[in-house]
Amino acid sequence: MKLIELKNVTKVFDDGRKKIEALKETNFSVEEGEFVSIIGPSGSGKSTFLTIIGGLQTPTEGKVFINDDKFSELQEKKRAAKRFEEIGFILQASNLIPFLTVKDQLQLVNKINKTKFDKKDVESLLEELSINDLMDKYPSDLSGGERQRAAIARALYHDPSVILADEPTASLDTDRAFEVVEILGRETKKKNKATIMVTHDERLTEYCDTVYVMEDGVLSKK
Amino acid sequence: MFLAWREINYSKTRFALIIGVVVLVSYLVFFLTGLAYGLAQENRTSVDKWDATGIVLADESNLNINMSMFPKDLMDDVEATETASLGVTSSVVQLVEETDDDSKVNVTFFGISDEEFIFPDVIEGEAFNGDNEVIADISLKEEEGYELNDELSLAGMDSTITIVGFTEDSKFNVSPVLYTDHETYQHIRASGFGEREDEIISAIVVQSDNGDLSGIELDSDDLELYGIDEFITNLPGYNAQVLTFGLMIGFLVLIAAMIIGIFIYVLTLQKSSILGVMKAQGISSKYIGKSVIGQTLLLTLFGVLTGLTLTLITGILLPNAVPYMNNFLFLISITILLIVVALLGAFFSVRTVVKIDPLEAIS
Ligand SMILES: Nc1ncnc2c1ncn2[C@@H]1O[C@H](COP(=O)(O)OP(=O)(O)OP(=O)(O)O)[C@@H](O)[C@H]1O
Ligand SMILES: [Mg+2]
Repeated sequence: MKLIELKNVTKVFDDGRKKIEALKETNFSVEEGEFVSIIGPSGSGKSTFLTIIGGLQTPTEGKVFINDDKFSELQEKKRAAKRFEEIGFILQASNLIPFLTVKDQLQLVNKINKTKFDKKDVESLLEELSINDLMDKYPSDLSGGERQRAAIARALYHDPSVILADEPTASLDTDRAFEVVEILGRETKKKNKATIMVTHDERLTEYCDTVYVMEDGVLSKK
Repeated sequence: MFLAWREINYSKTRFALIIGVVVLVSYLVFFLTGLAYGLAQENRTSVDKWDATGIVLADESNLNINMSMFPKDLMDDVEATETASLGVTSSVVQLVEETDDDSKVNVTFFGISDEEFIFPDVIEGEAFNGDNEVIADISLKEEEGYELNDELSLAGMDSTITIVGFTEDSKFNVSPVLYTDHETYQHIRASGFGEREDEIISAIVVQSDNGDLSGIELDSDDLELYGIDEFITNLPGYNAQVLTFGLMIGFLVLIAAMIIGIFIYVLTLQKSSILGVMKAQGISSKYIGKSVIGQTLLLTLFGVLTGLTLTLITGILLPNAVPYMNNFLFLISITILLIVVALLGAFFSVRTVVKIDPLEAIS
């Protein structure tokens, strides 16, 4: 089943003086349990592509479907709600909230969608990422690798169908980077997510099912 | 509230400092209110005590009781449920055994008659009963150490007066009142103006059943009837005082609330990138906004209530000479006002939250 699908999507930035075609017409999809990576030079449009899928900006033309829903057509507020439900973000500088412990980062999700906080669930999730003894630590007390694993835990916790990771390993050394990507691949398979990872390090793509290259706004399979 | 609490817990020092500022500012506001109210009361407690409907003064006195003088027999021209004659004059008293200037006290004499309704309740000692005896306001005991049977000398008079009783809440124009009979009053007043044949009084205090001036009839061109509230507002200096303090307190409340508002605003700006990440994750502006407002509420509630407690404690510890007085209606209104205005400030912050673009936060 296709969890992510883009139909004829383009993105043009127009600042009045000149037009930048950041994303040329693109058709693209990711299946359940598929781990996709996107590589490409700086400024080629990778982040633009990823944020359009995440609904942080709307395409100039075309449609984005998430889990069969016309995601890009939704109103701003509904899109945010859908994003909260369906999409887990992992960012370069980690998307953790500095004043919450690892446990509280996850508990925040329960507070927002008014579900019960289950300590066992949290423990088993953190155990999979081998950070279960860091539950009560603040992000500033974690190493870069631990922080990214906590960010993965946060992204997986509310059980979204899609995981979007923009250079999740940029701040890590090679060993940590491989660890994090391996975990990401493993969780994608185990939990049947559709995962897209943007990276500039081609070696990391060995864990991925499909590798795309972005160049000047044109996406092509490698 | 989850986010609000966790953040306060994480940045304890920062929030302690903010609460500290709120405590100090609200303490200042509350304390100044207590002082202003206390001072205002010292102008009028003796008048409030009459529970009067109106007051009759000499027509040409322009509402100034010190300038009002007329023969006591004019009382016959006033028709009301209750009437009371009142002579007012200010003077300076001193214990007879003292001579230095520091021990002189400014007072106001009220000449009254014992069968009329403005006669005060004596809480210590007894009522005056003859020449040169007075009932004094209790503040003379509390602040000056005067006792029953103390003899006082008066400026410009040879004879002395004796305190035979004390009464409560009797201040007029910020000075304590000494009540005496009309005969003694005539002597004291005359010491300043020269003897006159008739018995002179300053005012006739009137009470009517329906609490309304329409029930009072006045049959003299030389006299003028005023409502008691009008009389109080026109006490020398009273209105200026109330307005000055009122404005000061109003501005302070505004400034205090702005300080809280600005703090919250700066805090919100500082974490706008974190808030942007939250929004990128799909956490609604509504949830974040609620937590900003919740946090403001926690900070102000805690700060203002601590300020209030400090004020109440200070009020108890202050010496009697400081005209501090609690008015719970004022204290509660200011508490609510501070919190409401601070929350208004928080709404500005919420607007910035709504405007934060999650895209910028993550790129
Ligand atoms: N909001 C915007 N307004 C105008 N131009 C933009 C905007 N966002 C991106 N661009 C342009 O679109 C192009 C693609 O940018 P994008 O951030 O997607 O690149 P990227 O592949 O993620 O690069 P990097 O590897 O450096 O992160 C760039 O030329 C950029 O200048
Ligand atoms: Mg990028």
